[in-house]
Amino acid sequence: MNAGTLFSSRSARLLLGLLAVLSLAPLGVDDYTLSILIAVLLQAYLGMSWNVMMGFAGQFSLGHALYIGLGAYAAGALFIHFGVSPWIGVFAGMTVSVAVSSVIGMLGFRFKVMGVYFALLTIAFAEFTRVLFDHWGWVGASSGLVLPVTNRVSDDFWLLRGSTSMFYYLILAMTVAGFLFSRSLLMRRIGYYWQAIRENEDAADALGIPVFRYKMIAVVISAAMTSVGGMFIAFFSNNLFPESIFSMHRSLELILGPIIGGVGTLFGPILGAVILTAMGETFTILGEHVGIDGVKQIAYGICLLAILIVKPNGVWPWLRHRLGLDGDGK
Amino acid sequence: MSDHTTIPSSSKGITRRQFSATAATGALLTTAAAGLPLRKARAATPLKLGILLPRSGHLALIGQACQRGADVGLAMLKEMGYSVEFMNADTESNPDVGRTQAEKLIREGANMLMGAFDSATTLAIAGVAEQKGVPLVVNIAAEPKLTEQGFKYTFRNFPSAGMLGKGGLLLYKDMFAAAGVTPKTAVLLHVNDSFGMGMLNGINALMPKLDLPFQIVETIAYDPKARDLSIEVAKAKAAKADFVMTVTRLNDAILLVREMVKQQVETMGITSPGSPGMYDKQFLKALGKYAEFCSVNIPWFDPKQEMAAQLQQRFEKAHPDESCDLNVGFTFEAVLIAADAHKRAGSNDPAALTEALRATNIAKRVMIGGAIKFEANGQNMNLRSAVVQNLNGKPTVVLPAESAEAKFVFPMPPFKSRG
Repeated sequence: MNAGTLFSSRSARLLLGLLAVLSLAPLGVDDYTLSILIAVLLQAYLGMSWNVMMGFAGQFSLGHALYIGLGAYAAGALFIHFGVSPWIGVFAGMTVSVAVSSVIGMLGFRFKVMGVYFALLTIAFAEFTRVLFDHWGWVGASSGLVLPVTNRVSDDFWLLRGSTSMFYYLILAMTVAGFLFSRSLLMRRIGYYWQAIRENEDAADALGIPVFRYKMIAVVISAAMTSVGGMFIAFFSNNLFPESIFSMHRSLELILGPIIGGVGTLFGPILGAVILTAMGETFTILGEHVGIDGVKQIAYGICLLAILIVKPNGVWPWLRHRLGLDGDGK
Repeated sequence: MSDHTTIPSSSKGITRRQFSATAATGALLTTAAAGLPLRKARAATPLKLGILLPRSGHLALIGQACQRGADVGLAMLKEMGYSVEFMNADTESNPDVGRTQAEKLIREGANMLMGAFDSATTLAIAGVAEQKGVPLVVNIAAEPKLTEQGFKYTFRNFPSAGMLGKGGLLLYKDMFAAAGVTPKTAVLLHVNDSFGMGMLNGINALMPKLDLPFQIVETIAYDPKARDLSIEVAKAKAAKADFVMTVTRLNDAILLVREMVKQQVETMGITSPGSPGMYDKQFLKALGKYAEFCSVNIPWFDPKQEMAAQLQQRFEKAHPDESCDLNVGFTFEAVLIAADAHKRAGSNDPAALTEALRATNIAKRVMIGGAIKFEANGQNMNLRSAVVQNLNGKPTVVLPAESAEAKFVFPMPPFKSRG
């Protein structure tokens, strides 16, 4: 793919329009609304990261919270202990995540651990790491790691200390970069190899595609991308606890966006994140009016179930068809 | 419905204008769901208190208990001349949700925040409070970092983990002095989750420093979700220690004592240096006479305070099937602190409220301890743990002496003698 192809397509121009609207959002909304938009974009970014591994290469992971946690803790701990900028710390997080994901990939792919069994392996590593961090004093053990919060007048982009607007633009940039990177991967030979592996691994192998190597590449790219999201979470939320950052709940939350939007599609994780957050906020307001605790979770679950029953392939493939964008890439 | 829905010829595709509108709508969908960013004018009275509690999610039961404490207390506070309005928000036991809910409450005009039971969520909310300059009164959260970060707007009327551990362990000296019996050995059974491991580390670090008269001869960890604790209890029995120390949650506490009865583990006492479970109504209901004489060292209601008795009476009337425990007490006190600061400040301005909170001095309270006052770091140091022992089917304060309703029973009567 080249830039010319991308920006001449109809959907790309429409996406640029959407991007323009999002870029102007901080001028017209308050911090609460920005926080909601940050939640949407963060979920979209993390969903895209997972999508590289599952959607493109067909390798099912249920333990991506592992890479979020590693990215978050690496950048957070280096900042707290040595004052290292998160822009340097993020590379430490990516390096650790790549190393750990390589071990998981090697174990899984060498020993033919596939499908749900591979997913179980990813859960096991996430849980093992959570227990490890729960007892590791240098990162605060179960007491967690708390980044200093101050009432700042100006933003410090180098140390990522500052306003909600600064974090909004950062996650917007990360999401755009993640989208372009995903599209770039998908439109290259590597993307076609991954799709061949996803559809039929044995056939891909018979065709001479180095299956092991390309599966490993998918795993490490996905892990590295996810760890960048972890760095963002650390500096935006300012506190890290092993129990929440490595939790199974976070891993499941991460994959919901692509599943609702459309696994393997480029825009699916973004649309899924918008749908999930809008649904969540709507049901929160509804729950407050009804005054029954937990009504949000029930309504949310029913809606998720309904979407998955009605649109098992996700909403984006259907919407793309309705919008007449079928011939315009993914 | 399938993905192959026929598109009517008249609507083949959608016009660009329509799509642009759809895209813009989509981008701002959440904005619409959340409401427009209108800043409401702040009235001088009453205080708009944003209450953030985990009323759903895995901490829902405790969050709902805290909410009951606030709700029951509201009528009491109004009768006492305070003027407070609640703005309730559910943190869903999720720090990320807690953060956005705090921002939402501030946007909707909350003058002060109160919450949020768990430390991770409270830290997330404290960050928002700090950035916005809106004071936060912490009802329950033991993480020491909450008052070690240099936050200017966070005030905590709950002991930090260190204070809890030390206060709970120090009481053992008073317990044995009151009973006139000093055991020499203990076996420690504890849950192996973050809380249990944190308590274990604290106990191990403090035991040598506090010069306690007994030694822990065996430490046995177990999974709080365990369905069978027979091996752990057998191991504890084999240790032949004088008494049993526990760090539990609710369900495992029931399982543990039930198994001790089954295996006839006769010990001088079952005590906890500070953990939930053994004072809970469900524990008392499930174990009946075998729940008797179990004790926990925790912050508790002061039975000598009139306000505490009044709150407990009202709570029992409103919620006869629920426990009126420390979750209720500390949440009520947090609301009291907020309302008192508002009354003294005579203003809804967050800066004035913060200054008033800093000058808090409340002598009449519901929990055991001295007057509620905040140190420069926002921590109330006048908090004490009590020994709460189950007597006649009710958690009863037996120590400190000035608050005691009954005498501490130690050694406890053997299980087999209880009929």
